[in-house]
Amino acid sequence: MSVKIAGDLVVGNVIIVEGHPVVVMKKEYNKSGRNAAVIKVKAKNLMTNRISELIWKADEKLEGVILEKKPCTYSYYAPPSHVFVDAEFNQYEIDAEVIADLEKFLAPDMTDVCEVTFYEGTPIAVVLPRSIIREVEYTEPAARGDTSGKITKAAVLKDTKHEMQVSAFVEIGDKIEIDTETGEFKRRVT
Amino acid sequence: MRYNAATIEMNMRRWDIFCRVVDNYGDIGVCWRLARQLAEDHGADVRLWVDDLASFSKLCPSISTDATEQHVGSIEVRRWTDDFPSVDVAEVVVEAFACELPASYIDAMARREVAPVWINLEYLSAEGWVEDCHRLASPRSNSTLTKHFFFPGFTPRTGGLPRERRLLADRAAFDSAAEAEFWSSLGTPGRSADETRISLFCYENTALPELLRTWSEGPCAVRLLVTPGAATAQVQRWFGREFPGTGPLETGFLTAHALPFLPQAAFDRLLWACDVNFVRGEDSFVRAQWAQRPFVWQIYPQAENVHLAKLDAFLDRYLAELKPPSMAEAVRRCWQAWNFDGDIGAGWLDFAENRQSVERHGKVWASQLDQAGNLANNLVCFVSGK
Repeated sequence: MSVKIAGDLVVGNVIIVEGHPVVVMKKEYNKSGRNAAVIKVKAKNLMTNRISELIWKADEKLEGVILEKKPCTYSYYAPPSHVFVDAEFNQYEIDAEVIADLEKFLAPDMTDVCEVTFYEGTPIAVVLPRSIIREVEYTEPAARGDTSGKITKAAVLKDTKHEMQVSAFVEIGDKIEIDTETGEFKRRVT
Repeated sequence: MRYNAATIEMNMRRWDIFCRVVDNYGDIGVCWRLARQLAEDHGADVRLWVDDLASFSKLCPSISTDATEQHVGSIEVRRWTDDFPSVDVAEVVVEAFACELPASYIDAMARREVAPVWINLEYLSAEGWVEDCHRLASPRSNSTLTKHFFFPGFTPRTGGLPRERRLLADRAAFDSAAEAEFWSSLGTPGRSADETRISLFCYENTALPELLRTWSEGPCAVRLLVTPGAATAQVQRWFGREFPGTGPLETGFLTAHALPFLPQAAFDRLLWACDVNFVRGEDSFVRAQWAQRPFVWQIYPQAENVHLAKLDAFLDRYLAELKPPSMAEAVRRCWQAWNFDGDIGAGWLDFAENRQSVERHGKVWASQLDQAGNLANNLVCFVSGK
């Protein structure tokens, strides 16, 4: 067991709630005015498979679970699960619903090394590398004159068709670096 | 909306409300209203724990600042000190504004055969995320206790706003005779037809000198009712002298009167009796909406303007139905100037020009708020479902 601060939770973390292990599927941070910062979490109970929404103050101390983790790569989608493979070519299926938030970046046979988490031998969560590189399949032509990167436009990623905001100077075919925790464009790579 | 006050079940009758006074009177103002509404409208046995009885006594003059335990009506008021006594845990525990309950009390809650319903009552916000977080469970890792977050708000998907059962009826019955009696009780002259009567309750505000100058230059006579504290201090600084006894300070079109600290019921009447109310924080902000008069809100200021989003979120909701859009924009400009040191002179003149329409809008808005139910009733309904 370990202590986890609610504000530090990331998708894939497992914590103990009412005596049961639950895996964080989605996390939202909210703070405004005098309200204490709060963390809203969508979580799946690993014993009952029940999904619920929970909330904590951002500084709340929670009980984390130290779990087995393995580096794996994403292989393919076999409804209703996504399949990951480790270095020994063992395959692990994970319920698509549990990692729905990551699907926008999961491309068949992508080479990014992910971290798959196991609870009592069962894969329960995936954490992508903090940075990944993806190719832009479509975006409107670059606006002339602005190279500051502050003006953004929509772009569609190759393979996943995920639409996201990128800097205005990004063009079709460019490779871009994405922050997987925030889902935001970081920079153009080529 | 007429509603039947939700009935508290026998096994949920005892409520403990915990309140820490961070600064000013907003926290205790909300908690005291909630305590009274639970007791008077719903028959709850309420014990209110407050760490600052001096602030509380301003709102409720019958409070003794020395007493460890006392009763105000049916409500038991307890001084909340670091040396927390061993007490019976109530069936419902309200932790106001994430004030952190005493560790010994939490331990006692955990030892109870049936865990109490534990509510974390949050500050008011119009932001959209509040609806998604309202009523969510916040289980603790190291015990069987679960807290629930309860967010006051402006829509039926939130906990609603504090409102006494009789408030709207009392407001409707407040006629010109009652108003005259109220002004007389304050020692303030009765109304003259050509004046605009304005209440001022604010934090230190860099826009105030410019607003006072604007009022003093006309074109309409302004009679300003100034609440104690920051507003009075700033008005006196601007005039360059103190209020002369019970008399007003005057210059040009502006006449300013110093008010004593008004208990909550009298403060409501002040809001009902004025043409425009400048309010601040949370409690007076809510009361100004129930008053159905044009008002200007000074939000609790915070570093790096983090309160800006909260102000905009409220304006978006409040002004959504105010037509034409130019009128809504006039209100928004005035509020933003008041909060962020903009051109309050121009902002006020635009606001004043649209005052009658804003007043009509205030009645529609209050009726809309009423649809969300009221905070105490919504809390009782929530607790009954646990």
